[in-house]
Parts: sequence; C-alpha cells; structure tokens
Amino acid sequence: MKSLVSLLAITMATPATAQSIAVTHAEAWTMESDTPVRDATIVIENGRILSVTAGGSAPAGATVIDARGKPVTPGFVNGATQIGLVEISGSPDTSDTGSTDDRNPGNDVSRALNGNSTLVGLARADGLTRALIFPSPSRHAPFSGEPAFARLRDGVDILDVADVGVYAVIGGGAWDRLGSRGVQWTALRKALDEGRRALAPPPPTDEKKRSKGDGPPGGPPGDRNPGAEMIRGVLLGEVPLAIQAHRESDIRQAAALASDFGIKLIIVGGADAWRAADVLAAAKVAVIVDPSANLPFNFDQLGTRQDNAAKLAKAGVRVAVGQAGGPIHATYNAGMGLREGAGLSVANGMPYADALRMVTVNPLAIWGRGGGTLTPGAEADLVVWDGDPLEPASIALHVIIEGREAPNRSRQDMLAERYKDAR
Amino acid sequence: MSIGRIGWLVAVAAVLGMTGPAAAQRAAPWPWQQDPFPTRYHAPAADDMLLRGATILDGAGGRIDGGDVLLRGGKIVAVGKNLANPGVREVDARGRWITPGVIDVHTHNGTFVLPLTAIDREASDVAEVATPNSADTWIETGVNAEDMGFDRALASGVTTLQILPGSTPIFAGRSVVVKPVGGATVWDMKAAGGVQGFKMACGENPKSWGADDKNEGPTSRQGVIGFMRQEFIEAQRYKRAVEQARAGVGAMPPRDLKLETIAGILAGDVRVNLHCYRAGDIAAMLSVAKEFGFRIGAIHHATEAYKIPELLREAGTCAAVWADWWGFKVEAQDAIRAEAPLLERAGVCVMMHSDSPADGQRLNIAAAKAAAAGRRIGIETPPEVMIKWTTSNPARLLGLEKRVGTLAPGYQADVVLWSGDPFSIYSRADIVLIDGAVVWDRSKPHSEPVSDFEVGRGGIGQ
Repeated sequence: MKSLVSLLAITMATPATAQSIAVTHAEAWTMESDTPVRDATIVIENGRILSVTAGGSAPAGATVIDARGKPVTPGFVNGATQIGLVEISGSPDTSDTGSTDDRNPGNDVSRALNGNSTLVGLARADGLTRALIFPSPSRHAPFSGEPAFARLRDGVDILDVADVGVYAVIGGGAWDRLGSRGVQWTALRKALDEGRRALAPPPPTDEKKRSKGDGPPGGPPGDRNPGAEMIRGVLLGEVPLAIQAHRESDIRQAAALASDFGIKLIIVGGADAWRAADVLAAAKVAVIVDPSANLPFNFDQLGTRQDNAAKLAKAGVRVAVGQAGGPIHATYNAGMGLREGAGLSVANGMPYADALRMVTVNPLAIWGRGGGTLTPGAEADLVVWDGDPLEPASIALHVIIEGREAPNRSRQDMLAERYKDAR
Repeated sequence: MSIGRIGWLVAVAAVLGMTGPAAAQRAAPWPWQQDPFPTRYHAPAADDMLLRGATILDGAGGRIDGGDVLLRGGKIVAVGKNLANPGVREVDARGRWITPGVIDVHTHNGTFVLPLTAIDREASDVAEVATPNSADTWIETGVNAEDMGFDRALASGVTTLQILPGSTPIFAGRSVVVKPVGGATVWDMKAAGGVQGFKMACGENPKSWGADDKNEGPTSRQGVIGFMRQEFIEAQRYKRAVEQARAGVGAMPPRDLKLETIAGILAGDVRVNLHCYRAGDIAAMLSVAKEFGFRIGAIHHATEAYKIPELLREAGTCAAVWADWWGFKVEAQDAIRAEAPLLERAGVCVMMHSDSPADGQRLNIAAAKAAAAGRRIGIETPPEVMIKWTTSNPARLLGLEKRVGTLAPGYQADVVLWSGDPFSIYSRADIVLIDGAVVWDRSKPHSEPVSDFEVGRGGIGQ
C-alpha cells in the first residue's frame, strides 16, 4: 500500500492529460489479494493504470467515472474462443475458423481477425476485453494452426499478439483426419522429434528470433513455414503447445509429453483432467476448462463434472476458463458464457477470487502474456459493473480498453431499442 | 392480456370437452384423442412437510417474503405466513427461496442422448426424416429413459419436460411430457393430464433438408407453407369423413395415422408447438392457423417475435424463447436477449425454453439474462414476474396450468427449495419435490449413479 500512496502523490503533482480517466468509489478487484480495495480511486493515464488508492481523489482534468461502490475488475479474458473468425456458424462462407489446405500446414488466425463482427461487439458489451482465438482442426492433424490473442478495442483491428502458440486436437475430434489415438500421439511426437533434430545444429546467426510480445504479426505471406517455425518456438519454450483433449488417458499422455520434451503445455477442454490433477500439477500443465460442462458430448468426456476447475485449482493446477458454454455459447457469448462459467465454478467449490483469476490473470499467464491485474503500471483494461460480474444478471456499465472507454452497446441493444415500443 | 387469457380459457374448455361434442361422443374418443402408449407413472409416497420462512415466488406473479408452504399427500395445501403445522416434518427455509418446479417445454432429452456416437450421426432419433410429414410419429417411442440429461435436469430443479421431435420435418410428430423421476422406460415418467403436443417447423431447417438431393420436400419458405396448407386440406377432408361416419353418414375412412393426428390439430385436441424464427415466417403461420381454424400453442425460438407482439397476442399464441442463442444461422441474426421482457410488457405469454440438456439446467439463469437485457433498455422485470417464464406460462402451453407451475392450494406439489435467489448463478436446488415426494436432496449425494448409463463409468455419479 505504501507504493500506492507514493504513486498517488505523483499523480497529484502531475497535471492530468486529456487521456486520463479516474474511476472513483470502486470496489476494486486488483487480483493482488483475495479481497477488493473498497472505495478505491483508479487513475488511468496513457493506457496504463497509474494508481489504485482507497479513498483517493481524482486528478484534475481527468474524466471521472463514479462506480458508486460497485465492482471494478480487470477486463475479462477468454482462454479459448473463436470470436473475430465467425459471423454465422451455420454458413461456412462467413467463417474463417479452419484450414482445408492439404499442402501447407498452419492456420495463422491473426490474419483473419475481424473486429467489426457483431460477436465481438457483444462480447465487449459483456465485459470481455481480451481473448485467445484458436483455429479449428486442419487437414494436418493433429495440428490445427496458430492461435492469436485479440484485444477487443473499438474498430476492425483487434489483434493483440499473433502466433502465441501451437494448437492441436487429440482424441474424438481427430479421428476422421488421422485415425486412432496411437497414430495421433505418434504424429505429434514425430513432429516434435523432427523439430528437436532441426534445432540441434546451432541456428544461423541471422535467424530471426520469434517475437513474443509485440510488433506486427508474422511476416509477408509465404516467408515462413508456419508448422515447423512454430514447433521450434514450442521446443525453445517461447510459446506453449495447446492440446485440446478430454479423456484421462490423453491427459496423462499430454503430461508425459510435456515432461519428455520439456515444453510448456496447455490442455484445452480437459473433461477428465480432475482425475489426473496431481500429475498435471507436477508437470506444470495448465488447463482451460468449461466450468458449465456436466454432460459428456462424446465418450472422451465421460468424466465431465462442474467441480473440475475447483478440483484442479486445489491440486495446484493453473486453470482458466475457455470454450465456456459449449458449442452454442463458446463463441456467440464469449463474454457472458465466460462469466456464467466462472460463476458456476464458484457454485461448485471454487473460491470467488480464484474464479475471478480464471477469467483475468490466469488465461493471460497460461498463454504467456502476463497482466490482467489492476495494479500500477498494468495495461488499463478494466470494467465497471453494476453488480457481481460473475452473475449473468449483472451489466458491464463501462468497458475500458487500453485506457480508453470502449463502446459497449451491441447490435442486440440497438435492435431492442428499435423495437422497444412495439406492442 | 385479458384477450389472451380468454382465448386460453376457451381453448381449455374445448379440450376438456365443455363445448363441442355431445356427451355420447365424449364416451367414445375420436381417433386423434386416443393414446396407444399410456403412462405407467405412479407418484411415489409423498413426504409431507412444512417449509418455513422462505422467500416464495408462487409462479403466478405473487411473492411472499418470510412465507411458508405446506405440502401434504402430494398436494400443496397452503401458502402463506405463519402457517400452523398439522404435525408434519418442518424444514427451516429461512434465507432460501421456494418456487414451483421448473418446466422446460422444449427438450430433446432421451433422443439427443449424450454422449453422441456414430449411430446418432447415421440415424438419429431426434426426428423421423424419411419424409417432410412425420405426423404419424410419437417421440416417446424413441426415447431412451436412461439419458443422464434427465438426472441433470432434476438436480437443477426441473420437474416437467416436454420432449419434442426435431425441426427437420415440417410435420415432426407428437411430443411427450415427462417428469424426470427415472425409470426403465419413458412411460415410467410420462405425465398425464395435459394436452397432447405436436411439433411443426418452418424456415431454414425443413427447406434445407428438402433442398438436399437425397430428399423429397419443399426447398423454399413458400414451398414449406404450401406443403402445410395442402396437408391441412387433406386432414380437413379426413376429419369431416370421420365426423360424418360417426353421425351415420357414409363409411368410416380407413385409419391414417398422419391424417388423424393433423385432424386432431384442427379439432383443437392436439396442440402445435411451432419451430419458427423470422417475423415473416411467424406471421405466415399465424395466418395458416387462422385459415384452418386452430390455435398454435407456442412459437418456439420465436427469434423475431419481439417485432410483432400484437400478432401473437391476438392469436393467443405464446412464445417459447431463449435468452441468448443468436446468430448461428441466418434466420437467427436478429435474436436479442431482451425478447422475453419486451414480449412480457406487450402482453404476450412468454416462457424460456432450452433445446439443450445443458441450458435446460439453467432456465432461471436464462430468465435472469433476459431481464438484465431488458434493464439495459429501461425495462425492469421483478423476480415474481420472471418466474412465470419458467413455471406457470409453460404449464399453460402444456395444458397443465391447473396442476403444476403455480404454488397454490390443490396444485400438485412440484416444488423446489433453492439455496438462494433462483436467478443467481450461485444458487442450487437443495430439495426438489415431484407430487410431494422428495426426488432430489442435495444434502444426500448419490451413493451411486442415477441412470443405468452412468453405473461403473466413474463420472459425476460416483
């Protein structure tokens, strides 16, 4: 708290710029502790949080948002969704999720992101400020392609960071493309083996090291081989390998793979993950779960249960929420489904603050990003709510992304307004 | 609202035989009134109890804070404050909420059985799709009672479900209403006493099926409506012949399962649940119903009903809606979360429905989302109104409005004691009663799985 006070002093001494915002009287969930800072003043300047102070006053000239004692959280982060790639899922000519390219591996979804999509606007209105966007299965099973991080700022450009990992699917979803699990795991291991052999000689000096945090995504089309280059990033520990899998046998295979190759590994889905929680914790494998799931969509998911997240967290596994609400909601309600899922995890034994972490700091950490807190210096993505954000009945009153208030009126709101007086 | 209610009363009276057929004819049911698959459900022994000190939402628009509910012999005996205990078990319900059991009028449980396997993709039981007219089918003959979806529904406070056929055929078949009490067959769960339901569909689903080269059927919206009208004309002829034969004029036509079911729609004995999205589709179908003299029970999904509330209100037709399914196909582009509060305010009978074993566990949460979306545009909906969307309004659609869906003396004791506000994501169904028997008690976790399917598989039932 001492540092907060000193920062406040700096704030008072420095004239606020035109870009500064002060959120006052906030119940601020900084995510640094399990309890909020009451009656907090959050000062935002130049896209970053300057200070969070109990009872602090707003700097002169700042745009003031009075939270009236209601919760203010970091912007919510979806650990796995496909907003920005999909408009009408039933109409493939409006969908950019999958690759049907037989010759070239990889699917760099960062090049397909569409911030003008109505799905993005709705998610933002529901308090979502960032999301991991994953590709659908490709013809180069078990690999799907390269996921990207989106930041739901206003406008078409919602790319945050491209190529944040390699995404693969093992089990039920890969049968048609490759055959049995034995073949799938072998194919995955072979790709990693080949990548490791290619790493063995010292890399050429002009080799461009993969950038992880900033800069434009990728290079000009065709200047790289997405599959091989990305796998090198995985082997070097720069980016994680995400494996969408559910069955306990696959979860344990994945943990063994992480140990054998010394790579960062994420399980997406993980219906049976609770059964291997200790192994996952030991191998530092993170899991992205849908906390609402309690019915198995296929035989891989027979163990699915709503206390999966709570059991994993208790065992020391880092857990985030993604693909929340299943096929119906995971993309169409990428914000609301996330909140509902986190709320359900609380109803099933997850401590409240940990549930908030599952939709803020954890997904960012799991995908190698960092942030997701309300702390001095943090990127200013935050939401002012009219009630408990994990209650689906609550509304995101103000959504601030990169230090600017973002529009939070969705196309649905506009239609509702238009027909409000129809009788 | 009053016009709609009168419409309902007329319809209910017709169904109960209070108007129309003479007493002699009532003794011999019409072919479409016969049920070849009678229920074998027997209410379990009732657990008489007095629930004390709860927040009560009675399902019909009433709210009592700090109220009591007395249940005896499977019925609700009294709802009020400071009720005298006639000597039954008393449950301290302070801090908790009581509502009627949740009613889901649109499920595919038992036919869309999770986990799915190849046989479901090859030949699904969700609907018979050999022809666009599957009016001869009774969905109950395809239901797998061991679907764990029933168990999940029960544990989340659902006490009545209508299983509908899917929306691929235009005439998709008869529905069945069940109580999720478990059993080896659907008939161990079949709820009696309501109006026979039927499923029809318009718009993208039937036309895209017809457009597939393998199939025969209309390939356009207008083709679907034309097909329907032609079938209704056939059924009119059939119905007239049956009625005349009963009156001694002409021979009884040979039985035809499709025609007699559609004749039942025309007679008002079989209630249509219509899958429809766009305002134009809904309006066209309400015109068809008017032309052939029947009332559509509810438009299901009804994505754009909020644009034409007067048409539904005047027809006495309800809307069964989602809170937040939208956009996944072209005809669902204009879905809005605020639909339920908008329709409620316009005086349309509206209810939440699921279409999904996952969302069916949270119909009250769907109502909460819908109400919140209403709040965004300045429409406030209090909890005692929201609860109608998941209890008494769906009971009306099923013709069970005098039996379930409301907490009032004489009603069947289908009751849920919630751990808290039923519209909160944190609340759980602590106790669920069906016909006054405790069928779910969260304080006593199952020592074994509920459905046979889960035995020995190590999932949630363990």
